[in-house]
Amino acid sequence: MAHVVSPLDQPSNYKDSQTRVDRQKQNDLLAKSTTLYIGNLSFYTTEEQIYELFTKCTSPEDGGGIKRIIMGLDRNTRTPCGFCFVEYYTHAEALASMRYVSGTKLDERIIRCDLDLGYKEGRQFGRGKSGGQVRDEHRQDYDPGRGGWGAQAQRIEIERRREVEERYADAQDGPGAVAGGGGDWKQENVSQVEKKKRARSPEDEGEGDSDVRLGQRPKMDEEMEAERM
Amino acid sequence: MSYERHGRGGGYRNKRNHYRDRDDYDDRRRDYESPDDKLKTAIIKLGEVDPIEELPRLEQQIRDHVPRNIPILSEAFRIGVTEQPYKIPFYAALLRLLHNPTELSIPGESPLGRLVLEDFWKGFQAYLDKVEWRETRLCIHFFAHLTVARLISTDSMFALLRSFTSVLDEFGVSHGRAKRAALCAGEGLLLAGPVLKAASPAITDEIITAIQTYADSTAQEKWLVSPSTRISNQMMPSDGTVELLDILLSSLVTLNATDFKDTENCVPQPYKNNEEIDSTVLTPYVLPAVLVPPEVIEIDSMSTESGEESQVKKDEWPEFFIRLFPDDVSPDPKSPPGYIVRTALLDIIDIFEVNRKECARLLLEYPKWNLPGTFKPKPGAPVESEPTPGKDWQLESTIIETVLGAYLILPESSKKSIYYIALITELCKLSPSTVGPAVGKSIRKLYNSLSDGLDVEAARRFAEWFAVHMSNFGFSWVWKEWVPDLSLPVQHPRRAFMRRAVEFEVRLAYHDRILKTLPPSMQSPDAYTIPEQAPSPAFEYDDPTNAHHDAAVAVLNLFRGRAKVEDVISHLDSLKSTLETSEDGHINVDSVVRSIVVQSLLHIGSRSFSHFLNAIERYLPLLRNLASGGISGSGGSGNPEAKADVLTAAASFWKHNRQMVAIVFDKLMQYQIVDPTDVVGWTFLNGVAVGQLAELAGPMNLSAFEWDLLKGALDKANGRVTIAKRKVAALRKEDDDARARSKARADETMEVDAEPKESAEDAVPAVPEKEVPQVENPAITTALKAFSSLTKEQKAALSRTLEGFVSCLAPSPTDTNANPHARTVITEAAWENRGNWGRDEWNAWETWGWYRQFCRAYAPYLRTYSNTLYAVSFSRFEHAKDPAADLLKLVWNIATGQEP
Repeated sequence: MAHVVSPLDQPSNYKDSQTRVDRQKQNDLLAKSTTLYIGNLSFYTTEEQIYELFTKCTSPEDGGGIKRIIMGLDRNTRTPCGFCFVEYYTHAEALASMRYVSGTKLDERIIRCDLDLGYKEGRQFGRGKSGGQVRDEHRQDYDPGRGGWGAQAQRIEIERRREVEERYADAQDGPGAVAGGGGDWKQENVSQVEKKKRARSPEDEGEGDSDVRLGQRPKMDEEMEAERM
Repeated sequence: MSYERHGRGGGYRNKRNHYRDRDDYDDRRRDYESPDDKLKTAIIKLGEVDPIEELPRLEQQIRDHVPRNIPILSEAFRIGVTEQPYKIPFYAALLRLLHNPTELSIPGESPLGRLVLEDFWKGFQAYLDKVEWRETRLCIHFFAHLTVARLISTDSMFALLRSFTSVLDEFGVSHGRAKRAALCAGEGLLLAGPVLKAASPAITDEIITAIQTYADSTAQEKWLVSPSTRISNQMMPSDGTVELLDILLSSLVTLNATDFKDTENCVPQPYKNNEEIDSTVLTPYVLPAVLVPPEVIEIDSMSTESGEESQVKKDEWPEFFIRLFPDDVSPDPKSPPGYIVRTALLDIIDIFEVNRKECARLLLEYPKWNLPGTFKPKPGAPVESEPTPGKDWQLESTIIETVLGAYLILPESSKKSIYYIALITELCKLSPSTVGPAVGKSIRKLYNSLSDGLDVEAARRFAEWFAVHMSNFGFSWVWKEWVPDLSLPVQHPRRAFMRRAVEFEVRLAYHDRILKTLPPSMQSPDAYTIPEQAPSPAFEYDDPTNAHHDAAVAVLNLFRGRAKVEDVISHLDSLKSTLETSEDGHINVDSVVRSIVVQSLLHIGSRSFSHFLNAIERYLPLLRNLASGGISGSGGSGNPEAKADVLTAAASFWKHNRQMVAIVFDKLMQYQIVDPTDVVGWTFLNGVAVGQLAELAGPMNLSAFEWDLLKGALDKANGRVTIAKRKVAALRKEDDDARARSKARADETMEVDAEPKESAEDAVPAVPEKEVPQVENPAITTALKAFSSLTKEQKAALSRTLEGFVSCLAPSPTDTNANPHARTVITEAAWENRGNWGRDEWNAWETWGWYRQFCRAYAPYLRTYSNTLYAVSFSRFEHAKDPAADLLKLVWNIATGQEP
């Protein structure tokens, strides 16, 4: 229906400056992407809340479902910093989220979805100078949902915050830090060895990813997430 | 309740940045537009301000455009007609203007409009060839208007409509196909009726009769998918819901009675402003004859070893729409103007699914495209036309009723639930003060209908909409007004709804947030509306007085220290032997060990969904070992008892958080620790025990939560077959392509190498292709094997589900946990007495409802195995006189298309 209105499931103009792929390649990848970047989350929103909303876009009868959720964390404090990745099994589910969920509320905030190239190791961390997202570096306003709150907060919010702050204290980085979520169905009675290998097949990116990228991560901080809110 | 516009809460303050990159992106894409493109855009944008005023200007623009480009013009008309159906009457008027002669036209030459129409026809033919029903139907609307404008011959229009009614006579026609063909013929007649009836009353009657005959043949299907029918009675209630073909027919019958005089009161006919074309000067266009292409039968359906086919084509059923408002608020859909309005709104909802925001805007702008006086003017807007007697409807109520109607279609809506939910959210954001009240009234109306037997699946979807909607509007619902209903039995549909809606709200927010939106009487634990505690894990062995506390702590510490799988297994072996000695046969040691391991592992992963995934991924081999009953290398699909123990342990750990139960089960299936069939079997035996509201459990039954677990398992089984099938098809195609390539290469080589024209025999390849042994690619062999295993699993899961329902609803006398009311609630007298029903009666009633949903939603899969499944589950009732068994079989037979 592109003649009359523009569809909501188009990727934005965001370009991850840490990826090495060119624009054309990026567009090709996005056209098959099963991963969404979710922005403007409250720091207190849990993965289960995200799961609950995004599961409404799944097509399990078509082999789909939520593969995994990767919570964006402050690089230094290991606490959620307002973004995440939701990875589905199929591209159609990611498109459905763009159409039906992006721009609606979760935890009383309007969230934004964008098609993403797919999780790569290290991307779970904020790229702002302080460890959070770049957009929060530049934010001038008071935003209780994103850390900008103080003594006037409600008691239950303090409690909620405490839980959240502890939750990811054990978050790791490096290969294997993030679970794969389970792959395609495989015939039983394959040997254990093969099974282990499978767990690191190319489709479970991040797990098999080498450490090489780590070296270049912190340099290019500022420009990235800012655009993307 | 209050619906605020955008703008409260921190997120909105970044609006400056919000869509910035999107705008940049669009700017860059706005390439140079050629004059042809500009003209096309002008046609598509017809009526942005006032369609009638713009018509002469647009006509002139088209005529002035040189060089003349008919394909561009007809394409613009096609886009206009098929993507903006509300503009069709105005496109017909534009085409009528383009038929006028000008001073430049040469006598005898076809007018510009005719040339466009001839080219437009080619597009229609293409839609029809590809069986694109919506586009086909909308083109027929266009032709119908043109027939009234005397630009198309009545005979050829009749012929077109009859080629669609002839579909209804096809042997074994599917309901989806018949329904769409009937809509094409019926709606064409509805719009072109004024001239068609005058031309031939007999053919007009014949078309109506054909549709009527078909609709009459679907009575049983209607009973199964109407949201307001009784389990006990096949009679169709006359109010509250309307069926799509029925409302088409009632509209046609009404119009036919007055020779379609009233069509002009239902739909604009702006082309009538022009004088009638003299048919001696310009003979009307004769539409070429068409044939609706035959039903696509999946040729590629693969047979499994047992010879049963696997197909996943979705079934289509009669479509029932719930009525929420009286006739003076929203038009009666059975009346012609009501039918027109509803169809127009449904088409907008369908077409603009790609952009719900634009869709909401277009829905609210709809009155502009219908006759003046149809809807009440916006509050505060100048009254431009007198309200038409019998019309003057409320736009927002009509829209909400239509959207919710489409959302609540059974067994499932055509788009994902969340689309309709998000669309209503956008409507509320665009016009909170007018849409909000319509939403509130709809919620109350649906809530009230819960007492009168609103279908369980419709009720479940209602709760889902309610929760997501409230999540978008500050959870501000006036719960107080439902407090009196707390005196109803705990499983009464209204109380089940409150509980479910609250549970869904808590999942989207958090316990304390929702708790404080409820009045005190609903907060108390004995109200069974919201749990006392926030959903948290329940590690059974946490309590130091638990007999296995120490054993569990040891296992937990191994997991915490990331011990190797082998080390954990050897620890468990020694734990087992200790327990065997110490407990001396009082307990099932295997079960205890499984419970300790699974609960400890879930405990490690209880912080979040990701923590859970990490924990089980780290110990997958251990879990597999556990699920196989500890028999290492047993392979196969594990040990059913062990897998049931794994599920029980998981459900027990998350008994206060049913969302997590569903998530854990899903991933246990995904990681192939358990199979869908295990989950199905477990759910029927144990599902009711999950959750902290113990009062709700009682004897065997199925509520929405257990249904969600079943659905998760069945969808997983079916989804895997879909993937496997796709994989085989892809590999085969790859293989064929490779073969074709190598054959082409061989042919090429031969042509170069072989001496040309030696003799006929020599020209034949040395090894004829047929003799090449068709060695299947090993990848295909593997994929076929997977497909075959998965098909078996699918069949097992479906069969186990049917068995579960049969033993719930027609329990044998020896069943210890049977619901005593499974058989009693299905009589008409029992239903009339529902005011006195208690927990068990309502439970039994809901279970019957889920059985109906199971049969109709999974009908395409069930049909594949219908004979085997019937034999397994129903043959025991062969000679029994058992009304419950009869009802089970009746529903089964209707769903699987057997003669009852």
